[in-house]
Amino acid sequence: MLQRRPLIALGASALAAPALLHPRTVHAAALIGQPAPDFTLEDTAGKPVTLSRFKGQPVVLEWTNPGCPFVRKHYSGNLQALQKAYTDRGVVWLAINSTEDASADYLTPPQLARWMQEKNAAPTATLMDDEGRVGQAYGARVTPHLYIVNAQGVLVYAGGIDSIPSARVADIDKATNYVRQGLDELLAGRPLSKPTSLPYGCSIKYKG
Amino acid sequence: MLGFAALLSSLFPPLRRLAFLGLAALWGATGASAQSLLAGPVVSTAQVRAELMAHAPQGAAPGATVWVGLQLRHTPDWHTYWKNPGDSGLPTELSWTLPPGVSAGAIQWPTPRKFPLGTLANYGYDGTVLLPVPLTVEPGFSGQQIDVQLQANWLVCRKECIPEEGSFSLRIPVLGSTALNGAAFNDALAAAPSAQPASASQVSPGDGFLQVSLADLPERLRGRPLEFFPEAPGLIEPGSPWTQAWDGSRWTARVPLSPHRADAPAQLALVVAPAQPPGEGPGTDGVRLDVPVQGAWPAVAALPAAVPDALQAALDANAARATGSAGAAPQVSTGARITLWAALAGALLGGLILNLMPCVFPVLAIKVLAFTQHADDRTAHRRSGLAYTAGVVLSFLALGGLLLALRSAGEAIGWGYQLQSPGVIAALVVLFTLIGLNLAGLFEVGNVLPSRLASLQARNPTVDAFLTGVLAVAVASPCTAPFMGASLGLAIALPAWQALAIFGLIGLGMALPYLAASWWPAVARALPRPGPWMQTLRQFLAFPMFATVVWLLWVLGQQTGIDGAASLLLILLALALLVWALGLRGQGRLVLGGGALAALLWLGVAVGPHITRLADPEPAAASATAVEGLAWQPWSAETEAALLAEGRTVFVDFTAAWCVTCQYNKRTTLADTALLTDLAGRQVVLLRADWTRRDPAITAALGRLGRSGVPVYALHRQGSPSQVLTEVLTVEEVRSALDRL
Repeated sequence: MLQRRPLIALGASALAAPALLHPRTVHAAALIGQPAPDFTLEDTAGKPVTLSRFKGQPVVLEWTNPGCPFVRKHYSGNLQALQKAYTDRGVVWLAINSTEDASADYLTPPQLARWMQEKNAAPTATLMDDEGRVGQAYGARVTPHLYIVNAQGVLVYAGGIDSIPSARVADIDKATNYVRQGLDELLAGRPLSKPTSLPYGCSIKYKG
Repeated sequence: MLGFAALLSSLFPPLRRLAFLGLAALWGATGASAQSLLAGPVVSTAQVRAELMAHAPQGAAPGATVWVGLQLRHTPDWHTYWKNPGDSGLPTELSWTLPPGVSAGAIQWPTPRKFPLGTLANYGYDGTVLLPVPLTVEPGFSGQQIDVQLQANWLVCRKECIPEEGSFSLRIPVLGSTALNGAAFNDALAAAPSAQPASASQVSPGDGFLQVSLADLPERLRGRPLEFFPEAPGLIEPGSPWTQAWDGSRWTARVPLSPHRADAPAQLALVVAPAQPPGEGPGTDGVRLDVPVQGAWPAVAALPAAVPDALQAALDANAARATGSAGAAPQVSTGARITLWAALAGALLGGLILNLMPCVFPVLAIKVLAFTQHADDRTAHRRSGLAYTAGVVLSFLALGGLLLALRSAGEAIGWGYQLQSPGVIAALVVLFTLIGLNLAGLFEVGNVLPSRLASLQARNPTVDAFLTGVLAVAVASPCTAPFMGASLGLAIALPAWQALAIFGLIGLGMALPYLAASWWPAVARALPRPGPWMQTLRQFLAFPMFATVVWLLWVLGQQTGIDGAASLLLILLALALLVWALGLRGQGRLVLGGGALAALLWLGVAVGPHITRLADPEPAAASATAVEGLAWQPWSAETEAALLAEGRTVFVDFTAAWCVTCQYNKRTTLADTALLTDLAGRQVVLLRADWTRRDPAITAALGRLGRSGVPVYALHRQGSPSQVLTEVLTVEEVRSALDRL
């Protein structure tokens, strides 16, 4: 179903009600070269985090779900290294879980926090999106699905983490890491040579 | 020793699974070194039993046709993927190790089926599927057998996904016949889509959509709903709604493009196959085409944030018509195609009926009142009749032109749309209240209107008649939507001149009774003589006006809540006081009029904003019916799609609070206990799409059904063409529509 609901300020209560009415946005409103839809989500500790607060810094949005083998593939070290390297360089990294709470592989906020901690993950924050509103707004389809928002709040990358769609850890080194490449270009002030790529992984289990 | 191992593993299948799991754990770290020890033709997991098969009925000598393939038997509810897995997932990968002189071709993918998961969808197979691969044995090959080794990787998913893999080995004798699995290979090759030349087929990317036009599709597909599978991943949104239409042997579709697609191919390989194939395993009877892409892919960044869906549906209909059919090509079968002539006749009839609508009749009555004043002057009669007709027709043409202009501006609008704006409703309430008060005799127009305009009306009856025609159209527009659904839906999809012709004919139909009365004295003479009854009639006509006000206030209340409606009533009260006071003489006029004006201004500032502010919509709730266990659910495209995917029959009531016909049907046919019992018995799910407020999702859905107004009643079931029922719904019609499913 086509939804052309404006997606500004998803966190605002005025829009929360219509969003409940139509929890499914099929068409991604988030588009490359357009302002990234703003949102406010609670992190695993219940603290609200708002995307627009990070204006002035590049932001990575990483859709995640530890139950997914593709996510586990990249949490064998790849994602942690990326998170560490780029948060050190001033990039904000938000890991977002849009899995609905009725799903078998849903993790409660403390469980998700513990998993991230066990993996030595280093995102700026790990956010809960059980309602799937932010995921739908960005058109996130799979885990892992990655987005880069530049310091001006414009979406500059949407796609997979790298160029080899597989669940094999061995492929990580052979693949071109589009997120690393994009962030390097962004931090160097160059346009991204690969603004979109094919995201691969497990379907996000959205509510509804 | 080998026999003992086979015996052991057949006695203890878990052992083999254990071996597999151990292998899976080792894979990646130790690579292929362990495989050959454990490899055989079969690998089983809890989700899949995978078997390497061969088919070489004439042996495997150079030049012979040799097939190998991996058969996957899925545990119920699990599936693996096609070469384009859709929104997520991975295609099954086969990597072969073959002796020198033997090489493997590509997988001959059987036709896939679609697995929807919420807003997402995947392409793949459940049940049992064999992925066949041709082997080429070169002339120099001189071995006695072909040792085939296969390393396969597949992702098997239910809602959760498990990446699995297996190593397989098999020996094909060169001289003997290998034909044990001939049936499986024959079935798999038959399930592969048959190749068809592109000929006049093409796809063209547009603003967020891919226009697909496939020519000369085989007889067996024609008229059936198809599924569309592009072989390149990431180009389209597999889970989003899309439209398709048949026009003879040509099939057209409009498929939403992925806003984040990474590729811009010049050639698109695709498979179409009947939608909703029965059973499990591969899909049925597909056709594969490799078609050229016409035009440039829109830049990913330049995609519009909102796609004018109804507009695109209209353009689709145009495109389908341009390819040779006479009428509009409806996206769904509406029983009969509406030709232009039928639409024009419908427009004329609809115009006639408009005269009887509550928002037109009083205005017509005003005109009739004026008309009786010079019943003896035939020339003046005809002149005013023609002027009235001109006023009506020109107003309709102007509205049609406006609609076309908005259409080209890309705005998906509906005729009754203006009633979705509280400001427009409030203005209409004020207008109708003033007309009602005037009819009731509270004030005279000459006292309030600027004297020049009032005397213009009085002095020049021809201009007066023209203006009455314009006024009639202005107040008629809210009533047009329910009665003209089909014609207007078509008009939106038509070329400009045809759309304007339809609008012109609606106007002509509306003006016709009056024109006839003015032209033929017999009709005019049938009108009552002027007399004191006129005053009575005039006062009586105030009541339908106030009834209209009540209805509009109710609509406004739906949109802005009780505060908005009460605020408007306060303003109306002050307004009534003002117009009454202005008709007084002397001191009273000054004091009361000034007070009323001050009150009106104060109210306008203090409570006016309540009127135009939309109340927060309450979450649409299910509303029960008289029949136990049957309730109306709020409509959304996703709900509808999900229900259809479950195989349910869905009845959708597109309605709005401001639509009188909708409310009538809701309280009569749709409240009929016998019908509701029948619907419950047939497990029909009732969905209600409420268009009282602006809802682009509903506008888009209406556009897909070829409509731009409500009411619309649609009956959907997966695998059957959707049925759109008539606006004035009867119990029998719903029953027969259900029987046709």
